[in-house]
This record gives sequence, structure tokens and C-alpha cells, in this order.
Amino acid sequence: MSHTRRDFLKAALGASTLLSFASAAPNFLTRSVMAASSRRKERDTVLVVVQLTGGNDGLNTVVPYDDDEYGRNRSTLRLPTKDLHKIGSAMGFHPRMGAFARLYKDGFLSIVQGVGNPNPDRSHEGAMRIWHTADPVRLNRQTGWLGRAADSVWNPNTTNAPAVFVGPIAQPFALNAENVVVPSIRSLGDLTAGQIPGYPNDQSQSKHTSELPRSDKGNSLLDFLQHCTLNTYTNSRRIEEVAKTTANTAEYPSFQLAATFRTVAQLIRADVGIRIFFVEFGGGGIGGFDNHANQLGNHCALLHQLSESVAAFVHDLRRDKLLDRVLLMTFSEFGRTLKENGRRGTGHGSAAPVFLAGGRLKGGLIGPRPSLTDLDNGAPKFHTDFRRVYATVLDRWLGFESRIVLDKQFQPLDVLNV
Amino acid sequence: MVLQIDKPPAHDQSKQIHPAVTEKLTDPAWAWAAYQPDAQRPWTLAQAGHLYQRAAFGANWDQLQQALSDGPQRTLDKLLRPQADIAAFNRTYDEYDTGSADSLRAWWLRRMILTPHPLLEKMTLFWHSHFATNSANVKNARLMQQQVQFLRSHALNSYRAMLKGISRDPAMLIWLGAEANRKARPNENFARPLMETFTLGPGNFTEKDVQEAARSFTGWFVLRSQLRYIPREHDGNLKQILGQKGNFTGDDVIRIVLEQRATAQTLVHKLYRWLICETEGPDAELIAPLAKSFAKDYDILKLAEKMLRSNLFFSPVAYHRRIKSPVEFALGIVKPLEGVISTTQLAQDLADLGQNLYYPPTVKGWTGGRHWINSATMVRRHNLALALLKGSGPYGDKLNPWTVAKKHGCSTPESTPRFLIDLFLQGDIEPDVRDALPKIAKASAGADGGDLAEPVRRFAHAIVTLPEFQLA
Amino acid sequence: MSKRLGLIVALTLVVFAAQNTMAAQSLPPANQWIPQNAVISLELTRPKALLELLSGEKATAAITALPLYQKQASTPKFKEFLNLINFMEITLGTDWRTGLAKLTGGGITFAVCPEDTVLMIIDAEDEDMLQKFHEILLNMARSEAEKQEQPNRVESTQYEDVTAWTFNGKEAHAIIGKRLVFANRPEGLKAVLQLRARAASENLTSKAAYQAARRAAGPDSVATVFADLLILKNIPDIAALLEQSSGNPLAALTLAGIVEAVRDSSWLALGLDCGESKLIFRASVDGKTTASTSPVAFAIPNKSGEGILPNLSVPRRIAALSLYRDLHSFYAAKDDLFPERTSGLIFFENMMGIFFSGRDLTNEVLIETKPEIRLVVAEQEYDPAIGTPQVKFPAFALIFRLRHPEQFNEVAEEAWQKAVGLINFTRGQQAMPGLIIDRPFQGKTKYTVAYFSTSGIEDKTNLDPRFNVRPALAMPGEYLVLSSTDGLAQDLIDALHQETEQTPKPLAGTHSLVELEGGRLSSILEANRKTLIQGNMVDKGSTQEQAEANIDLFISLAKFLDRAKLSVGVQEGLTRAQLEIKLNLQ
Repeated sequence: MSHTRRDFLKAALGASTLLSFASAAPNFLTRSVMAASSRRKERDTVLVVVQLTGGNDGLNTVVPYDDDEYGRNRSTLRLPTKDLHKIGSAMGFHPRMGAFARLYKDGFLSIVQGVGNPNPDRSHEGAMRIWHTADPVRLNRQTGWLGRAADSVWNPNTTNAPAVFVGPIAQPFALNAENVVVPSIRSLGDLTAGQIPGYPNDQSQSKHTSELPRSDKGNSLLDFLQHCTLNTYTNSRRIEEVAKTTANTAEYPSFQLAATFRTVAQLIRADVGIRIFFVEFGGGGIGGFDNHANQLGNHCALLHQLSESVAAFVHDLRRDKLLDRVLLMTFSEFGRTLKENGRRGTGHGSAAPVFLAGGRLKGGLIGPRPSLTDLDNGAPKFHTDFRRVYATVLDRWLGFESRIVLDKQFQPLDVLNV
Repeated sequence: MVLQIDKPPAHDQSKQIHPAVTEKLTDPAWAWAAYQPDAQRPWTLAQAGHLYQRAAFGANWDQLQQALSDGPQRTLDKLLRPQADIAAFNRTYDEYDTGSADSLRAWWLRRMILTPHPLLEKMTLFWHSHFATNSANVKNARLMQQQVQFLRSHALNSYRAMLKGISRDPAMLIWLGAEANRKARPNENFARPLMETFTLGPGNFTEKDVQEAARSFTGWFVLRSQLRYIPREHDGNLKQILGQKGNFTGDDVIRIVLEQRATAQTLVHKLYRWLICETEGPDAELIAPLAKSFAKDYDILKLAEKMLRSNLFFSPVAYHRRIKSPVEFALGIVKPLEGVISTTQLAQDLADLGQNLYYPPTVKGWTGGRHWINSATMVRRHNLALALLKGSGPYGDKLNPWTVAKKHGCSTPESTPRFLIDLFLQGDIEPDVRDALPKIAKASAGADGGDLAEPVRRFAHAIVTLPEFQLA
Repeated sequence: MSKRLGLIVALTLVVFAAQNTMAAQSLPPANQWIPQNAVISLELTRPKALLELLSGEKATAAITALPLYQKQASTPKFKEFLNLINFMEITLGTDWRTGLAKLTGGGITFAVCPEDTVLMIIDAEDEDMLQKFHEILLNMARSEAEKQEQPNRVESTQYEDVTAWTFNGKEAHAIIGKRLVFANRPEGLKAVLQLRARAASENLTSKAAYQAARRAAGPDSVATVFADLLILKNIPDIAALLEQSSGNPLAALTLAGIVEAVRDSSWLALGLDCGESKLIFRASVDGKTTASTSPVAFAIPNKSGEGILPNLSVPRRIAALSLYRDLHSFYAAKDDLFPERTSGLIFFENMMGIFFSGRDLTNEVLIETKPEIRLVVAEQEYDPAIGTPQVKFPAFALIFRLRHPEQFNEVAEEAWQKAVGLINFTRGQQAMPGLIIDRPFQGKTKYTVAYFSTSGIEDKTNLDPRFNVRPALAMPGEYLVLSSTDGLAQDLIDALHQETEQTPKPLAGTHSLVELEGGRLSSILEANRKTLIQGNMVDKGSTQEQAEANIDLFISLAKFLDRAKLSVGVQEGLTRAQLEIKLNLQ
């Protein structure tokens, strides 16, 4: 456990706040805090998955500006070379992604190029399903890859939620688990315990009911529930403290996506054992990155929001020295066609870049740039199986066994400094 | 002024479950014999509450008192075969037209609260998890409604008829991706869960059995939401399934899997976990007589009746050996408080707790048990209980523990806590824990006497957020 | 305060008057006794007109016939209230209607001032009755105070040569001639009495904003409200409400600058007129007419004399909406209006791109529409041969006016058929039945309808909700009608022909007009009664009886409403709204 975090917990759970927690006793909380710090021997890395719904146009996100094919095929959507944020001599970030360019320069952002799957599906539902199940073959698979990941690390004494979805839409299928309940939340309030107004304050000196010893009736379920209840109120208190102490200290833009990232950052800071966060951008259904018409303006607005929001998140974590524990990855169900359609938009494609952000990245562009002449139905071909990215984050970052989640071992990418 | 909760009477009911008899429980004959109370194993409030928790969705005060005076077997008679006009109730509730599965959830929860035959709904819920079908894939509320209605009509009848019906249920076939089963391309999407989940259980069949069963089901389609049999798509050739050979059809497969000993064992085991105990599996010897008898007729009511009337059911092996599912948790607050609440809101809140009716996560249903519980779902149980009890907000003031306490003659700061502990936990609470619950202080003396509504709400909330209350 | 005294004081708020030191005619108008710093004032200048409408025999008969009233009437509280009324009637020697009229007939003035001060001035017609009434209340207050063992709660004192009373130690009131002045705190009464003593000093009527508001409210109003928005806008909740920028394009389009107008205003005026079974509310704010450069200028007619068209009448009409909205300039300003792209907007553009074959939505499609847009909602008539759905939705239709109908008609037809084709394709993929397209005539107008076939369905009395929809496109003359049913499309074709023959006159200066028919509303509610009741049961957790009572109350309230009409516009530099309610008290 780093010094910063211990200091933070001390500050957050200082004596005064301990006394004020409704009916909870000081020793109940201190004990839990101690329990929490001993737990820290376990791995505590966090994965944040960001879904870009609709099929992001990779070619106008990380632009191969020196390729004549790009300019030739994009008569209205071509981005002016001078406005791009250059990466080397051939590629450049979209003009409105200055924040991403800076993250890239500082080594907090990597781009995995040409990611896709061997059984591409050009319908939104089909392609998204494959990204969610991580199974391009069994199309009616009933669990998502992150749901299976959550199930794979469950044990009968687990009391923390391994993964959560943060957002206002229905939970994406990637988190569907056979056994574990993966919560969906909209705000921190969903994870803090409310009280009926007028709860007497004079209870603070007595013990909280969940920490009183129960006579042993040999009921392991009761022990488990008692332990979990105790942990629940400790976590709730931590989240409340974090919300109070950091409400206005970090600067986030006023986008809804940024607000979601702020919530994720606060939950990481509260240190409540959540290892996987899932965030969605684009609405989760129709529209979003699915720019069939008038792409220029709409895509521009979306990329700007994405870039600014992720950057604010990275800076927020970095300031609190939490960035080394966090890895963010984006994905979209597919890329888009090279050639634009007649409606100043693009069609459904195949390969697309995946962004990784965090404090332990090797940085740079990963994998070759997909060719713009050797196309698959008008769209760049993939060369990196998306399950290699999944294997990377599961094995190398979270320390889960990707083989159990993905049914076989995929070669992780060499992108992390761990 | 703060007052003490009065001390429990001498016959402390927290010690009512009889550990003295534990050693006899491994003897199947004794374990499954009907429970008759005696001096050593008296019939108590805790036993009555336990029965209502498992065979219903909790009890109100009158039901608990009636059960105490009726004794266990008579109470069971009423739970298994109620006198009320169930047919009329079901008719009213079957007449519900909606285009959305979300409103079906709300309608079913309301039915669970108001039904005169709660065991039927409890068992329908069991089968809804057993034949788990997710409406998100079916995308047809009428088919989902028909499926659950079908499960209800068979929930306490023949498993044989239920399984046969399910093999022809459009919602099930759509959900599993088995809408088309052609001779040239046999579809295993129904055959596999049939063997793995609905009957035999893993390890009791081979890949070959699945393939041959899939061939037997060829010819069945769901076209425009309707089941169709197309004879020329049926593979009429010889198949070999679980050691039997013949030109089998789907119905033959159902017959064959039901003839396997593993099927009855798997089902008895699953119902054991539902009605008796989910912490540890029963050993095969204990299950054997029940499985043997169940295999003869697949009569679900008979099996459930045997389990619920048994010595085992009223023993420490069963008592508090299940974790309440979200539905059981919420209705365990609603039923004792004798109110009806917004079930539209409740359905949504239960989805957040992990039990989204009509949308089970996979074909294996809700795993439940300890999986229901983590610090995120626990804080949401806390907050749901708060919303139900606080007297304002989305649930309004439909539940008022103070009114219920007064109705049953407990209107003082001394008698109300005792009443609520008996109502929600049947008095089974450790003295230290009881003493640590928030005190019910007398409200400032006004002209119309102390109104305890608010402190009683807080007290009730403290009870239903205890670890003990999460146990069924 | 005991419940009974509370009831009496509440009654006091409505009733009152008396004393005989001064002659009534020498009293200045009540609003001159209101301090200048009042934030809100409400003046009922002719309470009797309102009383006649609301307590007239028709209204009383209608209200007492309500099941809710009958239920309330059987409660002990209500009986206690009736006893009190009886007691008052006997003591004052008149029936309650006459009593109330005589006690308040000169007018009621109500004001909210800073520091939570509330003032009320009531002018009685009958001085003796006012005094008698005060005596009754005084006696009741005294006996109540003695019961509470606090007899000195009721006391009187002299201030500015007037006897000021208090019944509970907090409120203060005084009777001056036929006038009763009441304040919720003594400071309030003091301020009024000081204004009375120095008649020339600054009061509400000397405030410019108040004068402007009174003029805007109209001189003959039965009641007038004035609100000082400069002060009210400083209240955090109100400020937050006004600052909220709406992210929803549809809401922004419908509200069209009303919020902005309030944001820019210094006062709000409200006037009420009433007549036989009729109430008219008029609201105005002094917000500046929106600058033509503002993104919300799309709702302001460019030329004077322009404005919305009258609503269309069709059989079984439930509601109608007429708007003046320049969709072209609205959509051109979308980047300013909605900086955060919603997925819905992007999806909308995708679809429009397909339907209009890549035409630019702003400059090639929306520019073809004129700003006169209308919406009609009507109850459906079902042909039993086709079938009746279980849940009965109303039909609705949008009517656009086109700039170049002859060029645009085929573009619109193609787009519409593409949309139907796309729906059919998607439904087909999910193995669901699709729509069949037909092109029949209504009179001389050819229109297009798409419908679901019911020929394979045996029970035609209990159809799926989708059978409420038979989408239709019609383009009579210079209009484009997008209707959810062909039935409504046919009625609109007829209505538009009729309208064109008579050349409709635009309602100048009005940009929004909504009309609602109570009878039809209650009829469609009635048709869906069972569904609404079941919905109420699961949504509210009510018993079947409660749910039935709730829905039936709603239906009977709709029946009381004959029609309501709300219009909003900009006239003489002011944003004005008028709500006209006609009651059906038969």
C-alpha cells in the first residue's frame, strides 16, 4: 500500500468522521480499515473498459494522412493535414483530439492498430455481441467476457463486487455473468447507504449490530453475511468520504462522459475492491459513432468529448498517484469503410484501433498500420485478434487467467511495464 | 426519553431449533418422516416463520399466530391446498394484456404479494429459474407471458408434462436459438440444455447423446412466433440415445431422459436446495428414497409436500440455511407489513439487486446463494429497505410498521420493538444484537400522544438490514 | 395552534371585514397599502364574479356529484366543517354564499413581501357582518387559548390610532372601516398601518414595474397577479431552473424561447377574467423580443402579420397544436443549441440521410418547409372488419406547409416509402410481419397508407397495440400530412381543402397554440379504462377499488372540462400567454 493511499484513508476516516457515522462504532470502522490494509497484499490493479458504440471510424481518429488512398476516398471527410496532431511522419490524431496527442506524447496513451476478429460481422448487433462474448464462433453464447472474468475470480468468501457498470443505459452484455451479480450504477449514491432522516446520533458510542459476535451455530452463511455487512458499511463510508473530499478538486469538462469518469475515479480512490469498470459512450443503441451521414461534425464532437474526458480522468488519477494502478482500454464493434458514402458518412467496416491509457504503458503505436489498398469489403483488414488485447488485460494487468475466460490461451501483447 | 426494549419472556424462542436431534438426520426414514412436535422439538414461532419463508414469501402477524395454533401439519395443509378460490384469483390475474415484459414483471410481483396460494407462485419462480428464458432475446411479451403462465399451471403438477410443453415452447426455442431445426443441420441448442440443465445434469450424457437428441428434435420450428412441425424436415432415421436405439422423435427423447435415474436425482437435488438447504448438498443416501419415488410419476406436489412436512425441513439442517433472493428479501418486508406497493418500481429495484424477473442471466437461471451478496448488492438491499420503509418517495407510505404494530395491540415504546422482532425475525436474535438496535424513543409529548411512526420506521429498517434477516 | 383554530384562521384567509370608525368610500384602493418592496401581489378585484362561477348552483351540483366529494363528505372532519358553517350561517343570519359575498365583495388583496411577510387586505361590503364575524372568531380564539392555558395569546393594542389584534401571538390584524388587514407577523401590519397614516408615501402602486404589469394584465380583470422577477430570479432554485439549458431538441423546439423570455424579464403579470362557465388567464412578461441573431429566433415571425395558422378541426379531435417554427433556422443553429451530440440526433441524421438520398438535411430538406406546423390528435374509429386493438391509442398527425410542393412531393413520397421499406426489412429480419403499402384516393387526393394485415387473425376484437398504427402520407395542395392512421389522414385532407377554400388568416403575433377537448379526452380514457386501472395498480400499488376510483376521478375531471386553449406569442414587445378554460357543468 502506498503512503499516499494510507494517508488518504487516515484523513478520510479520521476520528471525527468515525464518530459521526450513524450507528457505527469507532472500533468497528478502524478494524475494517485495518482489515482493508492487510488485504492490500493482493493485486489491486484496475481495468476501465470504454465502449464506443456504433462503430468508430478509426481512419478519421488516427489519420494516415500521408496515404494517398485516404485523401482519394474521402472527398468531404478528409481532415486537413495541417490541423492534425502528428504522430511521427505518417499518422496524426484528429484535430479535436489534442488532449489525446498530449497523453500520447507523455507516454500515457498507446494505440493498438488493426484490431478485429476472424469472423467479422457487419451488423451492429452481431459485431457487438462478438466483442462482448469474446466468442466469434458460438454466436448464442450466454455470458460476456467480463462476466466470465468476474465469475473466474469469485470465491465463497468474496464480499466486494468484482466489476461494475457505470452509466445510465442497460448493462452491456460483456458483463453478463452466470453466477456473480455485476451491479450497474449511475452515481456514487447507488453505492452509499442512506438513512431515514432523524437517525439518532447518540448511537455512535454503541456497537454496530453487524460487528457484534454471534454465538456459533455452525452457520457459515451467517458468518459470511455478517462479514459482508461490515464490509458494506465500511465501503459506503469510504465512498461518502471520497465524494465529500474530492467533489470539486479535480477538473472535468462538463460532458456526461466526463462525469462518468469522475465517478469511476472516485470509486478507484475509495478503494472498495472493484477491479473492473465498464463505461459506455455513444448511447449503447442506435446512433453514437454510427456516422452514416454528416459524419464530419458529429464525429468531431464525439472524439473531442472522448479525448477531453479521458485526459481529465488520467490527470485526476495521476495527481493522486493512482494512475499506476489503472489501465483504460477503448473498443468499438467495428471500424468503418475507407470510402465515404454519398451522404458524407461511412459504412460499417472491420478493423479499428484500440486505445490504451494508463500509467504503466510502454507507449507508442502497436502493430503495423493496416493497408488502405488491401481491403476487406472496402474496409481495412484486421491483423491483431481482439482476444489478444483481452488476454493482455486479463493476464498481464488484472492477473486473472485469460485461458478460463477466453477458452484458450491468446498471445498477450507486449504493451505494459509490469 | 429513551426506553429499553423489554426483555424476552422466559421461553426464549431464539433457541427453538432443536440441535439435540441432529444425529438422527442422516437416517432417511426419520429425516423424511412427517414432523410431529414434541417436548424436545416444540412447534414455535420461529418454525412457523421458517415454513412461511420457504413455502411462501413470508407471513403477516395473523398468519404466524394462526400457524402457531394450527400446528405444522395443518398449516401445511393450507399452504399446499388452500381453501380460497384460487381459480378466480388466477383468472383475474391471467387477464392481463401488455406489450412489454417490464410490465409483466410488475404484474407478477403484485400477484406474489396478493395470491391466496403463495406456494404456487414460489414454485413458479423456481421453474422460471429452472427453465430460465430471457425476454431480451425473445422480444415478445406475449410469448413470455404464455411461458410463465404455462409454468404456473404445471408448477405443482407433473414434471413430465411440463418438460414436454417446454420442448414446444416458442419463447424457450427462440431464446436458445433453436427456432429452426432442420434435417440437414440438426440444432443442438435445445438438446444440450435439455440434458445438461433441465434433466440429467453434467456428466450423465455424452456429446453423441446431444447430437442424436438434436436429430430427434428435427422438424420443429418457430415461425412468426408460432410453433410449427414440418414433417419433411424431420430426420426419421435410427438414433442411439443413452443406450436406447430407435427412430426417435422429440417426445421419445423426453421419455428417455425421464427414465434415467440421474434426472430424478438432479431434480430432487435442485428442489432440496430451493426448499431445504443450499449450504451443502445432501448425500445420495438421503436423496435416494425421494428420487426413487419421484421417478415413478414426476409428481411435483407430492415431492414438495414430502420435503416440507419432513423432520429434516424443521431441523437445523434447513433453518436459516438459505440466503434470501432479492424477491424473497423485498417481499419479506412487504408481506409482514400488510401493504401493497408499487411493483413497477419494485421490479426495477430487484433488477438492480440481481434478480430481474423475465430476464434471468443465462439458461441456468439464477445461481443465487452467496452469489446474491456482495458489498454493492448489500448496500442496495439497505437502500431498497429504506425506500420501502421511509414513508415517502417512490413507494409512498404504503408500508407503516407503526400502524401494523398498533393494529396488533403493540402501541408502546416497550412492546413495539418486541413485536417487530417477532414479526420479522420470529424473535430469533442474539440479546446483544437486540440491545444494539436503535432505541425507540418516545416522541416529544404532544397533545395527541407520542406518535412513534418515525422511530419505528428506523427500528424496522435496522432489523431488515441485519445479516440475520438476509437468511431464509 | 389547534386544528380547529387552524381551520378558522384558514377560513379567515378566504373571508372577513368590519368596524365603523371610518366610512368605506374614504379608504384608498387596497394596493396603495401594500409596501413597495412586495415581491408578489394577488388582487381579487371582483371576488363575487369568481364566487358566482365556482359556488354557483351548476358548479356545486357538479362537484357534489363527484365520488371523491361524496367520500370526503362522509368523514368526521368534513362534518365538523359543515357544523361550523351552519353555526356561522345562524349567527350571521345569512346563507354561506351570501355571507361570503358580503364579507369579501369589495375585493381581496394578497401580497408576499421580503422576510417571509404575508399580507392580506379584505374589503367587505357589509360592515356589521364583518364585525359580527370578527366577534365570533374572537370568542373562539379566546376559549381555545384558555383551554391551552395561555389566555394572553389573544390580545389587542393601539397602533397609529387603530386597534390591532392578535389571536395566537404571531399573526396580527386590524379592522378599519369595511376593511380587514391581516399579516402573518406584527411587522407586516405595522408597515400597512404606516402607509395608511402617510397616504402620499411610496407604495406598490408607485413602482414602475407594477404599473407596467397592471397595464399588461388588463384593467377589467377579476384578478391580477404581479411578480417581481428581478427579485425572484435571485432565489437559487428558480435561478437554477432558468439556467438549465435543455439538451433535448424536441423540448427546445416546443418551448421556443419561453424560458429565455422569462430569464430576460423584470416582471410577470397575470390577469384573470371569468364569465359564464369560463375562465381566462392571461400571462405576460416584459422580456425583450428575442434578437434575430439568437438561436431561438426560429419561433419569432420575421414579418409583422405572420403567425400560426388556426388549428384544424377534424371529427373526434382530442387536441390540436399549431406552431410557428422555422425548422431550417432551428436545425442550422443546432451546434449552438446542443453542443453535446446525443446518439438520437446522430441516428436521426443517419436515417434522414438514407430517406432523402443524401440530400443535406438543413439546406435541402428542412428549407422546404414553411414555419407553420400543426399537430392534430384524435380518437380513432375502428372498422370491426379490420379489427379492434385491446389498447386504443389516439391517432396523431403532423401537418407541414411546403415552399415548393410540386418539386418536393416526390422527394417526400420516396423518403416515406423508404422508411416503410426499412421498417419492413428490419421486421422481416426478426421474422415479424411487415406493412403493406396502398395508394387510395380521398376525394381527388391520392395518399399513401401502410398497414398490417389482420386477415390471418381469428379474434379481431383483441388485437396487438401495433394495429393502432396505419401510417399514412398525404400531400393535399401545399400541405404535407404525416399521420399515424389513414382515417385521420382522410379527415385532414378534407379539413385542409375546406381551409384552403376559405383562405385561413394567420393569428399574428402568436407562435404557439394548443387546444384540448375535455369530452374527447374523457372518451379515450374511458375506452382504455381497464388498461389504465391495471397500470395504476402496479405503478401505485393501489387496490383495484382505489385504482378504479383514481381513474374514474380523472375521467370525470376531464368531463368537467369542455375545452382549454393556450396561446403564446409576442405582442407589443411582450411575451404573452393566454389560457382559456371552458367548463362543462351540465
